[in-house]
Amino acid sequence: MLPKSKKLIAVLAIAVMTVSLAAAAFGQSQPKPAPMPPRQERVPSPPGEEESGDHERAIKTDAGINLSLCVIQGEVRVNGWTRNEVRMLVIGGSKFDFKVQQKSQRSGDPVWIMAVAQTADGDKMRPVSDCIRGDEIEIDAPVGATLNLKGRDAAVTADGIRRVSIRNAGGDISVRNITDGVTAVTYRGDLMVEESSGAMSLETTTGNIVVFDAGPSEIGDIFKTKTTSGAIAVQKIGHRQIEVNSVSGTVTYSGDILSGGSYSFWTSNGSIKLSLPASSSGTITASYGYGSFNCELPYKLATENISPGPVKSIVGTLGTGGNASLRLTTNNGSISIKKL
Amino acid sequence: MMLSEAEDESAVVFPALEREYNTLVPTQRLWNKINDSITEERQSRPFWQKAWAYVSFGVMTPSLVAAASLLIVVGISALMLVNRQQAPVQNAPMTASVRPSNITPPSPTAALPRGSDDAIVPDQVSSVPTTGAYRVERADYRQTAGRGALRTTRVDPPAPADASTVMPGEESYVKTIASLSRSVDEQKDDALRGAERVSFERDMAVVNDAITKMRAEVKKDPKNESAKQVLYSSYQNKIDLLSSISQKEELVASLK
Repeated sequence: MLPKSKKLIAVLAIAVMTVSLAAAAFGQSQPKPAPMPPRQERVPSPPGEEESGDHERAIKTDAGINLSLCVIQGEVRVNGWTRNEVRMLVIGGSKFDFKVQQKSQRSGDPVWIMAVAQTADGDKMRPVSDCIRGDEIEIDAPVGATLNLKGRDAAVTADGIRRVSIRNAGGDISVRNITDGVTAVTYRGDLMVEESSGAMSLETTTGNIVVFDAGPSEIGDIFKTKTTSGAIAVQKIGHRQIEVNSVSGTVTYSGDILSGGSYSFWTSNGSIKLSLPASSSGTITASYGYGSFNCELPYKLATENISPGPVKSIVGTLGTGGNASLRLTTNNGSISIKKL
Repeated sequence: MMLSEAEDESAVVFPALEREYNTLVPTQRLWNKINDSITEERQSRPFWQKAWAYVSFGVMTPSLVAAASLLIVVGISALMLVNRQQAPVQNAPMTASVRPSNITPPSPTAALPRGSDDAIVPDQVSSVPTTGAYRVERADYRQTAGRGALRTTRVDPPAPADASTVMPGEESYVKTIASLSRSVDEQKDDALRGAERVSFERDMAVVNDAITKMRAEVKKDPKNESAKQVLYSSYQNKIDLLSSISQKEELVASLK
């Protein structure tokens, strides 16, 4: 007999025997009642972790309070009010407390506080992580307040305070009515700024940026915005030093060209679209690779290099000249200037 | 005389058997009905119940169970013995042998697009046997340790390899990018989710393409200030792009 046949017979014999044994065992066994559903035990929170709930605290502060906090997760809303008090409400999240970092020498009120998470461990309250988590986090702060926020996955909205500085690993950021500067960085999400003033530094890695009605609060305030993957739209900006940079996305600007201003618009892979008043004046330096340059406004051509190659450049004077400068650069896209 | 004796015996016997005679006996019609019901019930039982009843009755004896167990033990031992004898043959090829084909495997670097210094190639390129007879063998599908995802290796940027090819003004950029690239290569698999990773690689390809083109242009015409400006800006973009990964990781780490 072939070895293959022997093996087959052996396997068949073993299978038959296994079935027989299983049947015998099953036949001798008493029918078991259906297992009881597992009892739903209440799982206690691990040590160092607070159960979710609603928590609210308030603290009297100086008018120019500096509020720092970090948020693991949640939707954060910050609103300015006229009271010298910070009120914070966490809905469906961790318990927290205010930690006074610095007090005013004049009034004795806190000028710098941190909102830190706390955990219940028996009777003792001990912080494990400073970062707060919650479904919603509402903060009311004096209009002169400065917000320093670090977030991991937080959607942040700030309205009506003096200054914001937000660094977010993921989540959208929206600010409005900020009077003295915005620094906002998110590595995944959109950025929107409206009706705000002061120096601005806006950056997102993956997301779009929209800014309108912004201006400086002091002479020399810089407006700087950058995205890696996304479009940038900027409208009605009063800053005189503007840098708009996108690696792969379209850049759109609509507004005035102010005297003495320096405007730089850059994209590696996308178009640059400007809408300017007919009375705009300044020096234009446009570089583009694979694309075109179109200008509806009258300009006086100074130099032009449109020889075949990866770089074409045009230098010209817009309107009456003036001392504003516009630098427009795209590697792969067109540049267009339209009349507003 | 005889009659009187018979009556006397009857008087004794009948009372004794009265209980038996008065017992209710089912009629033949009732018996027929009972038998029909039993037959009908037997016929309506499913086959598996009949089989199960037969089997359970047959194997209920402990001696039969003991014999079956012994047979099972013997059978499993035999199976193990058979497998042991064949084990060296089965475990020898760790990868599936492939029939030699006429297709020449492409070089890992030959198909890279120009300027794609961040292109990804698989770690292991399957070796194709060039000799040997064609035979079917069992493939070993055991996964290697670690995550199931394809591990990739970043190809080092081909740009400025030695000092002679580095143009004036770009040394610091090149050094910074090289050091950043090393750290980012270790982090980006964990730091970037799927869509973010795609965006990152796409943006990096865009920037690398710009750098490659502008370097060529500047080499061709060193006085082309526009090309230089774009080149340096592209370098800066690449640095920013690489830095963003580290910064994000630092931020996330600080929040734990």
